[in-house]
Amino acid sequence: MSVAIALHRVSAGYKSPVLHDIDLEVGNEVVAVVGRSGSGKTTLLRLIAGLLEPTAGTVDLLGVAPAVARRRKRIGFVAQDARLHPWRTVRENVTLPLEVNRTARTNGHIGPDEWVARMGLSDAIDAYPHQLSGGMRQRVALARSLVIDPEVLLMDEPLASLDELTREDLRDELLRLWEGRARSVIYVTHDIEEAVLLADRVVVIGGTRPGRVRGEVRITLARPRTKALRREPRFHDLVEEVRGHLQ
Amino acid sequence: MTARRTLVDLAVALVAIAGIAVILEVWARAFRVPSYLLPAPSAVVARMATDAGLLAREGGITLGEAAAGFVLGTGVAFGLATVMAWSRPLERTLFPLAILVKLTPIVALAPLFTLWFGFGTAPKVAIAALITFFPMLVNSFVGLRSADLQEVAFLQTLGASGGEIFRHLRVPSALPYLFSGARISLNLALIGAVIGEWTGADRGLGRVIFVANANLDLTILFGAVLVLAAIGIAANALVGAAERRVLHWHPIAIAT
Repeated sequence: MSVAIALHRVSAGYKSPVLHDIDLEVGNEVVAVVGRSGSGKTTLLRLIAGLLEPTAGTVDLLGVAPAVARRRKRIGFVAQDARLHPWRTVRENVTLPLEVNRTARTNGHIGPDEWVARMGLSDAIDAYPHQLSGGMRQRVALARSLVIDPEVLLMDEPLASLDELTREDLRDELLRLWEGRARSVIYVTHDIEEAVLLADRVVVIGGTRPGRVRGEVRITLARPRTKALRREPRFHDLVEEVRGHLQ
Repeated sequence: MTARRTLVDLAVALVAIAGIAVILEVWARAFRVPSYLLPAPSAVVARMATDAGLLAREGGITLGEAAAGFVLGTGVAFGLATVMAWSRPLERTLFPLAILVKLTPIVALAPLFTLWFGFGTAPKVAIAALITFFPMLVNSFVGLRSADLQEVAFLQTLGASGGEIFRHLRVPSALPYLFSGARISLNLALIGAVIGEWTGADRGLGRVIFVANANLDLTILFGAVLVLAAIGIAANALVGAAERRVLHWHPIAIAT
């Protein structure tokens, strides 16, 4: 398995240190990062995206520095409660990533309209963000980050601001997405069950500040997965195991 | 839809003005107020009809100066705001200078401008530009800085350049602020042009008002003021219509 994301003894912070001595390697897999609020989850994503420089250690993305991977347009990013560009329609929001940094080659063979269709938004393709529900907006955010077909997908609590039913639908959507093309995904969440359902591996960060890696749980549940898994004892054992690292 | 709203706005303004005119008319007639103190609105309207050609010509000149000043002031303000949004040190350097410009009374500068730029159009345009400058600077700056940080981060992860983030995100984010700035500045630019004409000119509504004042010719004075007001109301309605059209995605436009 080739390593797409590699963090080696990374420390980072703003005015005070937030993360300390983080080692993490991610291949073609979905790694969920869980931790309490303020444990440095978002800081970790900003590090990997090259939006923040580490104070110690190295971050490697696809064998290069994050800033280089960014310029090559290899990173997809989905934030919590994406506000999108309110003056653009759904279609125009999804084509936006193709309009910037045009010198970078994108390997996307699936067009914007197709991504909109896959997210079940064809009827709303000419609508503006203020006409959409929160769940629909997150689907657009997902579509616009996938339209460049990135090798690395970074997701920062993408479902946290949605109601439970919408969240379940979008989780199914994500599971189907993982079945499709192999990618390296880092999925930040504070929802342990969500992490276990979606990920191949769950990494727990936290502790007293600065946060470090507290433990790791390999999720051996076979794919394709469905939400029916949540009723199985094995699922609960894994959730408890992750919870144990959080205590 | 937007055209109808503009017409409704104008109609409401006209009704309000007509109401005040009726009150003044009654007052002027009831108390036999002499016309050199307060002319009856009917007399003002009659004078405006007689001198319609003059008022239209001079009004056009003042409008032209104000519009040129507005465009110039807005352009300079937006350019400076861009620079200030770009760099904190430049913001700290330029903002106090902008406040200095803002705090200098225009009436103190107007004669100076006439001295520098002569009696032609230039000093009027300069004063209108100066008066436009500060509100547009503040609104442009705040607007450019109002871009959603999550969206900035999103564009950065795509390798978008600073220029692309500026064009695709910062400028559209600034538009609502620019329109509020324009609503304030347009009327100020008209006043600026009139002040410029007042201090030295042979044309424009400011000149008409100045001469009328000297001659106690109040009907033409109020006529000129009314023309000025009409221009201001029309300009505001135009900006409002443009705002609703351009900002159709914005909560302000959605709410109205």
